[in-house]
Amino acid sequence: MSEEEQAYEPKIVAFLCKWCSSAGSDLAGVSRIQYPANATPITVPCSGSISPLYILSAFNKGADGVLLSGCHIGDCHYIEGNYLARRKIYLIKELLEMVGVEPDRFRMSWVSAAEGAKYAQVVKDFVADLKPLGPQNKLKADRT
Amino acid sequence: MIDVQSIRDAARDLLAKGEVRAVIGYQRGSRGMLAEPVTITDPEQADELVWDATCFHNLALYLVEDRKALAHAQRTPNLPIAIVAKGCDARAIVVLMQEHYFKREDVYIIGVSCEGGGVLVEYKLARLLNGAQALSAVIDGAELVVTTLAGEVRLPASEVMADRCLECREPFPKEHNVVFGEDQTSRQLVAPFTALARFEALSEADRWAYWCRQFERCIRCFACRSVCPMCYCDECVVDSITFPVAPETTAEEKANRIRWIERSAVRSENITYHMTRAMHLAGRCIDCGECERVCPVNIPLRLLNNKMEREAREHFGYEPGASIGGPSLVASFRDDDPGQFIR
Amino acid sequence: MTKKRTGVFVCHCGNNIAATVDVARVAKEMSAEETVVYSQDYVYMCSDPGQNAVIQAIKDNQLDSVVVSCCSPSLHEKTFRDNATRAGISGFTCEIANIREQCAWVHKDRDVGTEKAIKISRSAVRRAGRNQSLEPIAVPVTRRVMVIGGGIAGIQASLDMANAGLEVLLVEKQATLGGHMLQLSETFPTLDCSQCILSPKMVEVSRHPKITVMTYCEVQEVSGSVGNFKAKILKKPTFVDPEKCKICDDCTQVCPVVVPNEYELGLTARRAIYIPYAQAIPASYTLDEDACLGLNPIRCGKCKDVCEAEAINYDMRPETVVEEVGAIVVATGFDLYGQENLGEYGYGKVEDVLDGLQFERLCSASGATSGHVLRPSDHKVPKDVVFIQCAGSRDPAQHCAYCSKICCMYTAKHASLYKHHVPDGRAYVFYIDIRSGGKGYEEFVQRTMEEDGAIYLRGRVSKLYRHNDKIKVLGTDTLTGQNVEIDADMVVLALAMQPSKGTADAAKVLKIGRDKDGFLAEAHPKLKPVESVTAGIFLAGAAQGPKDIPETVAQAGAAAAKVIALLSQATLSHAPTVARVRRSHCTGCEMCVTACPYHAIRLENGKAVVNEVLCEGCGSCTATCLRAAIEVKNATQMQVFEMIEACLA
Repeated sequence: MSEEEQAYEPKIVAFLCKWCSSAGSDLAGVSRIQYPANATPITVPCSGSISPLYILSAFNKGADGVLLSGCHIGDCHYIEGNYLARRKIYLIKELLEMVGVEPDRFRMSWVSAAEGAKYAQVVKDFVADLKPLGPQNKLKADRT
Repeated sequence: MIDVQSIRDAARDLLAKGEVRAVIGYQRGSRGMLAEPVTITDPEQADELVWDATCFHNLALYLVEDRKALAHAQRTPNLPIAIVAKGCDARAIVVLMQEHYFKREDVYIIGVSCEGGGVLVEYKLARLLNGAQALSAVIDGAELVVTTLAGEVRLPASEVMADRCLECREPFPKEHNVVFGEDQTSRQLVAPFTALARFEALSEADRWAYWCRQFERCIRCFACRSVCPMCYCDECVVDSITFPVAPETTAEEKANRIRWIERSAVRSENITYHMTRAMHLAGRCIDCGECERVCPVNIPLRLLNNKMEREAREHFGYEPGASIGGPSLVASFRDDDPGQFIR
Repeated sequence: MTKKRTGVFVCHCGNNIAATVDVARVAKEMSAEETVVYSQDYVYMCSDPGQNAVIQAIKDNQLDSVVVSCCSPSLHEKTFRDNATRAGISGFTCEIANIREQCAWVHKDRDVGTEKAIKISRSAVRRAGRNQSLEPIAVPVTRRVMVIGGGIAGIQASLDMANAGLEVLLVEKQATLGGHMLQLSETFPTLDCSQCILSPKMVEVSRHPKITVMTYCEVQEVSGSVGNFKAKILKKPTFVDPEKCKICDDCTQVCPVVVPNEYELGLTARRAIYIPYAQAIPASYTLDEDACLGLNPIRCGKCKDVCEAEAINYDMRPETVVEEVGAIVVATGFDLYGQENLGEYGYGKVEDVLDGLQFERLCSASGATSGHVLRPSDHKVPKDVVFIQCAGSRDPAQHCAYCSKICCMYTAKHASLYKHHVPDGRAYVFYIDIRSGGKGYEEFVQRTMEEDGAIYLRGRVSKLYRHNDKIKVLGTDTLTGQNVEIDADMVVLALAMQPSKGTADAAKVLKIGRDKDGFLAEAHPKLKPVESVTAGIFLAGAAQGPKDIPETVAQAGAAAAKVIALLSQATLSHAPTVARVRRSHCTGCEMCVTACPYHAIRLENGKAVVNEVLCEGCGSCTATCLRAAIEVKNATQMQVFEMIEACLA
């Protein structure tokens, strides 16, 4: 990694399901697992409540990366919200790639309430993958 | 080949017998040979109806307009409205019915099969005619029969047809009350999604460069949205200027208008608008190609919608406009939907 | 809309937060936010003085919303929402900014930590700035409970709840109550007779004025939510009226059909008309429609002819009833992992290779051999018996990854029982480890080894096959490192426990989650071990995970206690953070109706309408609606939009 990449800190918006991934990040905290501070969490009721517009909006507002995390398939607190999320998010992911947004700028993971270490690792990996990409200007609002 | 007289007879009959209150169809336009949409209410007008290779418009849009006008006038008519519908138009009507925009019995579908053909593209025709002025254009089998001042010219249909017609997966209007022309669904001029596949073969950087060129041109005239029968929302979520203030609109609702994107027609906002539109059309766009046709700056919008359509078909087994009663694409799921992208 | 008056309270959590986050700076930055009229930091916000400070600040500054930047909302959200209520404002105007678990504890750099804490807090301030004052929705409660599964778990839970005065509906799929426990011979570690301790409870259940027993019934559909479920139950026809049946057994004497007896695990046969056990509850016969020669048209009719009590009625038809209950206990139990899955042990095709339950029946006085241990193939007394533990358990590569927990103990029991029945026989036990945690359990295993002389061999059996009238068992004793070859007369496999088929069915019908192994998922692995993820549905017994009888009884009691607590209230309060329709934007496209996992949305006059009692506030509708016409209160798109902005500022 170049020095420039080292110094650059990507901004990540992390949409976390309240029941699993947010609780998983709590567990990472309780376990004092250290990970980069780049991801600011927004807790949502369910991954199924995440509108594709949230993702586009985060990029539009200057996020360098957007993370979505929900319950493993079969574990949804609301029975099937994550199934609905999986389909919608697949489509928006494909669309982002189609338009030429780097695939590494968008990430989705399943992190359960018991997977504190996994949450930390997901953030670590995401930050590492985002650093070489530099700031995201493709969808960032041009206010000039 | 469909005899246009049969369509006229059907329309005249429906109106004369009082079975429908109007017929939405095509008439000869003011711009030379091109057809244009028309709504007729008098049986006598039936002879003005035309059917040829210039009937581009997706008339389903006028069903939407009709519904809006009725809602505005607070009228509930007791007769259905008839519509001339190609394969793609009929699929659009099915999606609208799937979304309860109107009921099946509110619409009388006069289906017209595109058979082996489709609609033409003006610039393709102009190029082949070398400056000669066309007076009419009708598809006959694999050929386009063009009448010019100098006489009749026969051209290979595939060279003048619209891309979406070449790639059409359903040129026959399955949903209909009456239908003219043969079901030639199995014809395959160009494999579906060919243009999309060609585009996707580009590198990520080239794809981005391509879309940059496209979306820098967008003037956000919203013609794509205006012409789309699926864009029937009164307020577009990404363009709150269309916000409807109804008697039941609360102050809080007025205050809660989200500016997802800025109004300025700059690239970032344009691209966010078009991506949102593509997402909102996923599982609903039936590839009538009208957005692309009406775009004044020639942005190939079909690519985005085609992408969503192909993903839905390949990965979710979903065909927009296939079933009135089925669940919508994004409101449903299957246990084996792809999930490998999730870590 | 008048501007909000938000108060921000930043907690030091001693040094837990303050070590990484400059809390004073967070409080100062928040005071610059448009809606914030008050902000402070304090060493322990959750302490008594801290809580009082919040209440006082709300009153003194006429706050209408509160943000507390502290630990995870899972810990103190309730505390601070209660404080808000105490101060006279809606608890739902209070938001928690988690700057401990999600920030201070996972970052070291003070500047970085402070920046992130500011973003998290600002995001919460924005959310609070658009929170509505909401009050919990009161839902009336049906004071009845349905228990699914009539094994020991279901029986115990039913009794506990009925004794507390609740009306109980006990639904069992089979023709009798009792479940697997009724099949057991003796129970470890005391070796008391299973039927002797279970059948009094079965009788108590059947006679309890508060309990309605519904055997031979299946729950087909459940709708509604906590406090008010509606269950559609299928009553399968038994063709015998239990009121009239005198259990004289005349019918079985004439029935010409012979089928394997599932209650004896195929060791014996039964007739098409049968009573599972002498002690069956209800004490009545059942005509197995599938086995019978034919009822429509009647092909045989002998049983009806011979029945003097006129209890047999061929015209019975399946019947569906709808029952309303306020809570549900799922006690659908386990099945044994199928022998057919175990290639190394002959796929269940080698004669005299039994599973644990079959061996129980061999030992049982009420079993096929009247309590004499005889091998099924030739009814000879087996002199060399091999017991194989972990058959299908603890084998993530091929079978079940988990430990089935009870097999070490029941294998010891089997070896011990065998030695009591056949003192001159030899019992060999192949094991991986002995797991005998439990009162008196370790001593029991030691007794089996030392007093009963069972031979314990540490290692796995690699192969077994029939060799003349013996079963050749090849294994390794890993302690001596020697290969072992035993010519056994009988082999007993301690098969893994797996969730019963009924458990899978119940999970589907009730829409409650299952874990990776198919057992019912509890709401929290430690703190909510008997609650399912759906409010009002509770778990008991082996359907939730392998467990023995005492544990099952304890869990059933715990589930009963939860139900009793729940239904002791006149009304339940339902979170008011439910979906709301913006009627001006709704076009009635029905996508939200399709997406809603709770069937809480319906179309009325072309617009979506939310049943607030059914809605759980998951937001699937919000994400599906194309026109933002339906949103979850206090988690609106506008709120998320502003939170995104706050995170990226």
